[in-house]
Amino acid sequence: MRRAFIVVWKDLLVERRSKETLNALFFFALLLLFIFQFSLGPDRERLAGTLPGLLWLAFILNGLLGLGRTFVVERENDCWEGLLLSPGDKSAIYVGKLAGNLLLMLVVEAILLVLFAFFFNLDLGGALPALAVVIGLGTVAFAAVGTLFAAMTAQVRARELLFPVLLLPVQAPVLLATVKATEAVLLGEPLGSVAHWLKLLAAADVVYVAVGVLTFDFVLEG
Amino acid sequence: MPDNWGFVLAAYGLAAGVLLAYWRFLARRERDLRGAAERNRIAPVSGHPGPEPASRTPRA
Amino acid sequence: MTRLVGGVTLAALAAGLVMGFGIAPREATQGNVQRIMYLHVPSVWVAYLAFAVVLVASIAYLIRRAEAADRLAHASAEVGVLFTGLTIATGSIWGKPTWGTWWTWDARLTSVAILFVMYLGYLLLRGMIEDRERGARFAAVLGIVAAFNIPLVHFSVYWWRTLHQPPSLMKPGPGTMPGIIVTALLVNFVAFSLLYVYFVARRARLLRREAEAAG
Repeated sequence: MRRAFIVVWKDLLVERRSKETLNALFFFALLLLFIFQFSLGPDRERLAGTLPGLLWLAFILNGLLGLGRTFVVERENDCWEGLLLSPGDKSAIYVGKLAGNLLLMLVVEAILLVLFAFFFNLDLGGALPALAVVIGLGTVAFAAVGTLFAAMTAQVRARELLFPVLLLPVQAPVLLATVKATEAVLLGEPLGSVAHWLKLLAAADVVYVAVGVLTFDFVLEG
Repeated sequence: MPDNWGFVLAAYGLAAGVLLAYWRFLARRERDLRGAAERNRIAPVSGHPGPEPASRTPRA
Repeated sequence: MTRLVGGVTLAALAAGLVMGFGIAPREATQGNVQRIMYLHVPSVWVAYLAFAVVLVASIAYLIRRAEAADRLAHASAEVGVLFTGLTIATGSIWGKPTWGTWWTWDARLTSVAILFVMYLGYLLLRGMIEDRERGARFAAVLGIVAAFNIPLVHFSVYWWRTLHQPPSLMKPGPGTMPGIIVTALLVNFVAFSLLYVYFVARRARLLRREAEAAG
């Protein structure tokens, strides 16, 4: 467990010094909002209907960008062998990377939420706690599989292509659940009304993290 | 209620076509592999006497 | 041996055709176009069977590192994708005269479509890794993730389609259909399963020979 913390801490330190990932993702988030607006037209009513979908689209596109790079930084700086040679259970690395990615994604999502509220003039106040639950559950699922697949595709050529191609189909049920739940929450419905979706997301979280922990060793072998 | 036999035919025809195509794909690959193995036994690429596994089969 | 299986398969397929066209009755509401079901439903059952085998073979490979397990997983995934594609195609052809549209986001078609792209990605991954051992390892991990994802796909898509919306036409469960139709379905399912076994056996054997040839 301690080694997991070390991994997270290392990533956080690197990020705090360079801030490159966070800045780039923030900028990308802003661009996404512009693109959504441009491609869907200025009609507020029509946009309002698709808002939950657009929000998660933004989360996912941002996540793909951020997660896809999560192991590339090690490869670029010749730290990859260090990872492979580290003794003992490699799943600690997985947990550490997962935690770091989760944190990164949540920060970016928070920023996106603010931007959405700003651009689309939303009043999120009452829905915020429920929204946080949905976003939290969905992001864990995304990050769990994403971290695992990122480790795989980092070792493959054409990784920028393969990573989204592998991740998106697997995330389809998570996307369905999160968008439906977000939709309900934004309409002011209580969390209880989407309990089945939340249970599905929780189940997905457990399954994905478990599989990630159990199989990460096999992904990171020499 | 129209019977739409055209659609039934299309579905079964498509299924038969696809499955047949896969079967032929398997057969052709096996044939190529067998042919290459024969050629290697008869005339080994390396020039040494006796059969030797070679690795030059062009894979589709 | 494979020839024997092939022969039996052909016989079973013929029996399936006889059942589907000769013995099964013309359906009351849809007419004869409903006979496509004898292709569509066994296809999807076989696809699920194939992916279950991929799961087992993947786990077996990771635990025992047996090349045979890897080849089985690869072959089964390929045949599974084949039958999944067939499911979608026949479902679409069945849908056009029945619902008036080539594609609809009904529960089964959507689930199968997601399955299709998941395992297509599996084949893509295998195709893009040259190192055999690494390819086998990664594919095994993906095979496990994909398989565990299947129930999640099912529930999410089913709820997505049926909550606040009446259930769509599909889902002919065995309990609600006359016995002769169920029998025809089962005969075709057996035939398709034999076809699956035949294809996987040949494909795995081909993989083994290719591996041997490459030295």
